Amino acid sequence: MSQAVLRQPEPRPGWLAGQSSGVRLARHSLTLVALAVILVPFADLAILTRDPWGELARMARGLAWPAWGALESPLEALGLTVAVALWGTLGGMLLGFPLALLFARSRLVRAGCAFVRAIHELFWALLFLQVFGLSAATALMALAIPYAGIFAKVYAEILEQLPGAPRDALPLGVGRLSRFVYAELPLAWARLAAYTRYRFECGLRASVLLGFVGLPTLGFQLETAFREGRYHEAGALLWLFYLLIASLPWWGHRRLIPLLLLGGALLLGPWPTVDGSLLWRFASQDIWPSALLDGDWRGLIDWLARIPELGPAIGNTLLLGLLGSVGALLVALALWPLACRHFGNPATRLAGRGLLIFLRSTPELMLAFFFLLLLGPSLLPAWLALALHNGALIAFLVARHADAITPGMPGVNASGRLAYELLPRLYPGMLALLYYRAEVILRETAILGMLGVATLGYYIDANFEYLLFDVAFFLLLITAALNIAVDALSRRLRPRETAIIDDPCQR
Amino acid sequence: MGGEPRRPLVAFEAEDLGYDNQVVLSRLALALYPGERVALLGPSGAGKSTLLEALRRRLGDSAAWCPQQHGLVPQLAVYHNIYMGRLAEHSALANLWNLVRPLAGPWRQVAELCDALGLAGLMRRPVGQLSGGQRQRVAIARALYQQQELFLGDEPVASIDPHQALRLLALIEARHATAVIALHYRELALSHFDRVWGLRDGQLVIDAPARDLTLADLDGLYPDADSSADEAIDRGQP
Amino acid sequence: MRWLAASALVTSTMALTLFAQGAVADTLHFTAIPDEDQSRLVERFSKVADYLEERLDVEVEYVPVKSYGATVTAFRNNQVQLAWFGGLSGVQARRLVPGSEALAQGSEDARFKSYFIAHRSTGLERAEELPDAIEGMSLTFGSRTSTSGRLMPEHFLRQRFGEAPDELFSRVGYSGDHSRTIALVEAGTWDLGAVNYTVWDAAVEDGRVDTDKVEVIWTTPAYPDYNWTLRGDVDEQFGEGFTEKVRAALLEMDDPELLASFPREDFIPADNALYAPIEDVAEELGLLR
Repeated sequence: MSQAVLRQPEPRPGWLAGQSSGVRLARHSLTLVALAVILVPFADLAILTRDPWGELARMARGLAWPAWGALESPLEALGLTVAVALWGTLGGMLLGFPLALLFARSRLVRAGCAFVRAIHELFWALLFLQVFGLSAATALMALAIPYAGIFAKVYAEILEQLPGAPRDALPLGVGRLSRFVYAELPLAWARLAAYTRYRFECGLRASVLLGFVGLPTLGFQLETAFREGRYHEAGALLWLFYLLIASLPWWGHRRLIPLLLLGGALLLGPWPTVDGSLLWRFASQDIWPSALLDGDWRGLIDWLARIPELGPAIGNTLLLGLLGSVGALLVALALWPLACRHFGNPATRLAGRGLLIFLRSTPELMLAFFFLLLLGPSLLPAWLALALHNGALIAFLVARHADAITPGMPGVNASGRLAYELLPRLYPGMLALLYYRAEVILRETAILGMLGVATLGYYIDANFEYLLFDVAFFLLLITAALNIAVDALSRRLRPRETAIIDDPCQR
Repeated sequence: MGGEPRRPLVAFEAEDLGYDNQVVLSRLALALYPGERVALLGPSGAGKSTLLEALRRRLGDSAAWCPQQHGLVPQLAVYHNIYMGRLAEHSALANLWNLVRPLAGPWRQVAELCDALGLAGLMRRPVGQLSGGQRQRVAIARALYQQQELFLGDEPVASIDPHQALRLLALIEARHATAVIALHYRELALSHFDRVWGLRDGQLVIDAPARDLTLADLDGLYPDADSSADEAIDRGQP
Repeated sequence: MRWLAASALVTSTMALTLFAQGAVADTLHFTAIPDEDQSRLVERFSKVADYLEERLDVEVEYVPVKSYGATVTAFRNNQVQLAWFGGLSGVQARRLVPGSEALAQGSEDARFKSYFIAHRSTGLERAEELPDAIEGMSLTFGSRTSTSGRLMPEHFLRQRFGEAPDELFSRVGYSGDHSRTIALVEAGTWDLGAVNYTVWDAAVEDGRVDTDKVEVIWTTPAYPDYNWTLRGDVDEQFGEGFTEKVRAALLEMDDPELLASFPREDFIPADNALYAPIEDVAEELGLLR
């Protein structure tokens, strides 16, 4: 080395400066976290119960010693839960599939699907409850309609991503149907089936939740038992629910599905006597402000003015959505190593995996309900529920991807492996997944309002209770618009520089 | 070849070919005459697939088309993949029924083809479970099943050993009066074809009867003769 | 494209025929607003179902529901024909189903009351008037459309303070039912609660509430409340004179065990007009239009 050329080293980069993708993603995430931290003071995070630990101990005892004998016809509720999930998903599939074929071509179909998707299953249930009462029709439509929108979108995405070569290889003049069944459907089949299966699992959770609004699925007794503090009974029901989810691979086998469908059809009921005039009155009058139907603009303005506190409700909804997403990111970052083969020993991994599966298969509403009893009705229980459920879901997927990675440098210690080998490879996918979840999280925030958290859902629930359907419907429309807007926003903000873990079954 | 003036099946007169506003072959001028067997040569990316695609568009449904192997549907059986060659001739209902239970006539015809191509006994097997060479033969079978006068093939005998390739080319020749086939084996181009079109960098640099050409002429198409080994994995863009 | 339209048509017809084949009811279904613990509701109303079955010569079935709103919806959709409503839910139901009638009420319901209860730690004592000290505390109502757990307490609060509850209190909630209100105030989650006086008295009598932790601080003036309401079209469904049979069965219910489970002394005749004051208050508070 010649001593004359003692060159100045390249200047050391400043804190988080630079354009490499890792640093850019770190800045991106820290901005999100900072935004959440700045906004936390606006959130109502008070703990309102005087003795949360005592309550927690009672709940834990209930879960540890479930009172199986105290349950009233749990098998019937279980059967109905499965039947509603199966037929609801099937209905969604039958409606969604034709729409998927039109999806790319029709703006109207796309908008319609975005709209039905943006409203949570439970809100649809509240709506149909008014015309079909506490009946199987309400339950099925509450599942089938939003799922039709979801299926249409995802099926269309799957079909769109098909390789074009088999289609191009066909001789000219092949009809649409023949082309579809020979050169498209067989190629898409496996992914369509996998997604439908995943949606059925979601349907199972949603079907349980329908009990919270009074349909006699598993959630009906679960909510009652929890609310009235009969935790041993609640524990038994909760165990039943986990058993149902865990044993899905056995009873939900492909060959058993027709049998389940048939059995489910017999369990479904009661069927409502549909009063056509009532239905028409509901659709043409009840859900619209009367001033609008009369063309009375001044009256409409009065009507709008009387709608309660829309600003804070929207603010709370968005705030909870942001906090929930950031919380989910932090939870996912903290939890994924627990279930990953690169860390810990078999025992800790088993426990970690168990914890993640437990958190991700418990519906948010149920977790929130649990924290609500524990902490009182502030934003805190909702936040915890959203962060834990979605965080665990992301962590589980990230751990699975991490398991597939072989570190390039053997013998690096755990922290080095985490920071240099794994996280740089996994983080972009993790963040992208979070942006997909943001839409789901926002939809859930609205529904958590039914538990008394002052989001839009709180006012929707209230107005259904007051039978002011026009206001409830208006608020539903606002909720849907908000979801669509946030979905569009998160699509724009989503980091796209790396291959994402882009499987619809994971969103 | 007789000397009488003939009408070409297709003729390009100084045309730009490509897709999505991107010109791949510029100012192309060539003509395809009935009864001609043309070998299409050139390194990957030279525009062979683009040219075949353009020919296919011009010729419409009078040409049997044999794309590279990913034109097959791996989930469907060999029989169904071959049947797809004549999908347009049957009603949608018949096509649907054929998926449930193969139609008798087509099943017999496809079986004959399979025998000829060494695919006997594989008709019910999903194409996804076949070897690369077997898939290529399924793709050829599908093109033969179309029973046209003219054969257009995009590397139909790539990744097949020269012996087999010879046999398959003979089979194609026997059933089609006219053919344009993209190839890798330069020797085959000279020995089994009437005419050679050579593409390089988006230009037609050779358009001559095979008997007037030597291997050395053809070597000029490839920027680095050694790289011809890489060509075996050439995927040629559609 | 055509096959798409056809498949959509087939699907929708299938769905419609499925939904249209509802069972024709020859069973009288009745329900009650879920104002207390579910287990107590089921217990008390299955006995009532047995009694009604005997008196009416038709099958009678109790339908449990989750919320006050669901009770009204079930009544509106003819999934139940008879219901034990609160004052406000009864008014809502009768507005939605023209021709339906309030048949009977408990003798207590003519002069019903609500209690304001408070956790001991608030230091509030029983008084003739709601103390000013409650300002800034937290309060939970029962169900949003409960007459005794929300409507009338809110009405009297507004009368006393001239302010809406959200302005008066630091935090306002809706527990869902009276039992839960008592439990939550007892646990100290809320400082104050508004409850139905019969539910409170029964809970104290059965020892289900720890009066060292929670106590009544104020009793509201009287107002009309609970009522049995029957749909107007039952005579068509169950035969001429069915309404009168139901009315008689309710008014002649004298088994103390049945009555104690409501808990009411006995049932007396009622009519729709009795509940006009409730209707006025609800309109004033914007809960009815």
